[in-house]
Amino acid sequence: MCSNADNNVYLNSIVLRASAQFIFEERLINMFHRRFLGARAKGRASRAFFPSPVARGAMWSVVALAILSAPISAQTPDTPPAAQTTDQKLEQLQQKVDELDQAVKVAQRKQELAEEAAAEKAKTEATVTADTSGFTIQSPGGNYRLKIGADLQVDNRTYLGTGAGSDIDTLVLRRARPTFFGTIYQNIDFMFRPDFGQGTTAIYDAYVQLNYLPWANLRVGKFKPPVGLERLQSDDDTTFNERGLPSDLGPQRDIGYQLSASLFKKRVNYAVGVFNGVPDASIGTDAAVSDHRDYAARVFLTPFLPEEGLLSGLGFGLGASGGNTDGEALPAFKTFGQQTFFTFVSGVTAAGHRTRLDPQAYYYLGAFGLLTEYALNEEGFQKSGVRREIAFRAYQVEVSYILTGEKKSFLSPTPKKSFDPLHGGWGAWELAARVGDWEAEKGIYNYGLASDTTSPRHLYEWVGGVNCYLNRLFKVAADYGKTDFGGGALNSNKLPERIILLRFQVNFI
Amino acid sequence: MKLTNSCTRAAVALLAGSALLAGPVKLLNVSYDPTRELYQDINAAFAKQWKAKTGTEVEISQSHGGSSKQARSVIDGLQADVVTLGLAYDIDSIAEYAHLLPANWQTRLPNNSTPYTSTIVFLVRHGNPKHIRDWDDLVRPGVSVIAPNPKSSGGARWAYLAAWGYALKKNNGDDKKAQEFVTRLYKNVPVLDSGARGSTTTFAQRGIGDVLLDWENEAFLALDELGKDKVEVVTPSVSILAEPPVTVVDRVAAKHGTTQVAKAYLEFLYTAEGQEIGARHYYRPRSPEVAAKYAGRFAKVQLFTIDEVFGGWQKAQKRHFNDGGVFDQIYLPGR
Repeated sequence: MCSNADNNVYLNSIVLRASAQFIFEERLINMFHRRFLGARAKGRASRAFFPSPVARGAMWSVVALAILSAPISAQTPDTPPAAQTTDQKLEQLQQKVDELDQAVKVAQRKQELAEEAAAEKAKTEATVTADTSGFTIQSPGGNYRLKIGADLQVDNRTYLGTGAGSDIDTLVLRRARPTFFGTIYQNIDFMFRPDFGQGTTAIYDAYVQLNYLPWANLRVGKFKPPVGLERLQSDDDTTFNERGLPSDLGPQRDIGYQLSASLFKKRVNYAVGVFNGVPDASIGTDAAVSDHRDYAARVFLTPFLPEEGLLSGLGFGLGASGGNTDGEALPAFKTFGQQTFFTFVSGVTAAGHRTRLDPQAYYYLGAFGLLTEYALNEEGFQKSGVRREIAFRAYQVEVSYILTGEKKSFLSPTPKKSFDPLHGGWGAWELAARVGDWEAEKGIYNYGLASDTTSPRHLYEWVGGVNCYLNRLFKVAADYGKTDFGGGALNSNKLPERIILLRFQVNFI
Repeated sequence: MKLTNSCTRAAVALLAGSALLAGPVKLLNVSYDPTRELYQDINAAFAKQWKAKTGTEVEISQSHGGSSKQARSVIDGLQADVVTLGLAYDIDSIAEYAHLLPANWQTRLPNNSTPYTSTIVFLVRHGNPKHIRDWDDLVRPGVSVIAPNPKSSGGARWAYLAAWGYALKKNNGDDKKAQEFVTRLYKNVPVLDSGARGSTTTFAQRGIGDVLLDWENEAFLALDELGKDKVEVVTPSVSILAEPPVTVVDRVAAKHGTTQVAKAYLEFLYTAEGQEIGARHYYRPRSPEVAAKYAGRFAKVQLFTIDEVFGGWQKAQKRHFNDGGVFDQIYLPGR
């Protein structure tokens, strides 16, 4: 147990060392900080350390003696003026300690604020990601986003029969479409997608969509009008390398306005729009050719939610459009092998009304898929000043089954295991078959609009295919298609088109 | 025409269906830093009143931060149905840059759309060891002043202008001397937080500085929380009348279908109940009756307005706080 005298001697030695050297020895600082900081409001450390007047008197006596008896060596020229009292020195020390304490706290706080600012900045800095959904630049919260994608398809066409026209075996760059899709101001989406495939340059999609009203999104620009089911399916998601015959009878792209939405938990999907109007299977000329407009609408129901059992993959609906063909180019119809099989005779122009009806449905259950569509058109043509309306119809039924068990849907499947044979991954494999039919009414010959010697008015096709989805982005698809021609006196004897169509496809967006 | 009629009928049916399926009305109040506690009480009281009046439940979310930072967030897309910010200029910015509300928004509610006011006071440590009584004491060597950054905090701008206004008054309108005074003051600021709440943390929790320049309400809140044995509030001889405004963000509220409830929410701030809640949180009430009732809470201080001394927020902002303005010239970190 230490006596007051022991304390005084200890303090005396500390004070002398501090006053002689003014060195902030760590032990001293700690002691003063610990013992005096709470008492500094009273302004007298000595009172805190020696609370009673007797003790303080004893302390000052000892301090005075210690100073007087301090070795001569300690009184160097560096020694502070003798007038400076110990109390003042203690206060100076206290002040220094406080200053150091504040400096440390300020430094710590600045570090803290810098870290907070860095975290805040991270919240406001854009992120760049590259993954299976493509390449994305996005602002925090996603209000501003740009996705860069691509759709590349290389086809190897091998014709096994004489076909409808040119049947040169070829490798063809079917589609080469860089894609820019994004969002600005949270509620405005945009899409720009040109195509450089097949030696041409054309804009396929260029639109903005305002998503302010959940029940009516407004889209303006060039895009797919809401008519055909398979046409509305992205080309990288279609089961076969080329779409079925009903797509020959619908618009491919058009410029216009459209309101659309998915309602009631996506059970009801609707779209209505006004468009310039384009010939069948055409992307138009990016401008109207007359004052007339096409009106298009589609309602598609998917009444059962994903968790609602066997019918959850059922969807059905009706697409339709109406307008006028005055001044438009004549439609050109193509086979599965992309051969134009029907041409109008010279002197025929598009003129008059056009109506399209397109009942459609799909059903997906597990690995199984069924898609069917029927197209019925009435279109006006004119020859020698006489207008005629000609009916066209087409249908298709396609079925598919994914052998590796992935779930079939309107979108491409994602393989359970990406293709990597050395590690047991084989991708997703799918078998598919399709039948289809296309027919123009007899009047097309009777009215002299087409020649029965060159243009068959009836096609029947069937296609079998094997699809290998190596991963989510890359697909290899092999189809065999056979198309029989009929309807014209001579064309009924025309040899069928038979083709093996091999496709290599990369798509990401 | 048939198509148009069908679309119209479908839209009406969808709207009706949406209304039937609707849950509680949700509002987002984007506010400045020190109003957290105020709007917790306001929200609860308003929700109760709204439910009693309309039978509809309303859920009000709060977002807080430096006033200017909050305004920036709204401009960048934060879906605020209402904003209750620290100063009018920040709401002007939302109107100007995002066009989410009309330029004359401040005329839509009484008292320039400021249902309560405040001012700038000093929070010092217990016993006031540095003997800080007025603005002059803040520029003394050795006095460490804590204040947030005027570039991001509304309260900090009010404080800066309060100091400037005091110096102008003291020096008979000598602008140069006012700038020298404020320069000396900010030389005594060792660290700038982004908002008032951050500065309170710096002063009260981290133990930094001798005096905190703060909103009056925030200072009294700190006093309540920390205790009178830790801090004291010092009211200077002269300060600024701080007017934190409120408004509906028209386009966001319209989009959310909350315009009516958002208006009612802000109007509630002017009611006796709203004013009482504000006064209890140390916001100076506009209502004379409530002000009289709570007169003892607020020290008498000579207040000047920003219009009187600086010609309004637009001028003050442009001269003092825009990039390259006076504040950028006088405050150099690390100097």
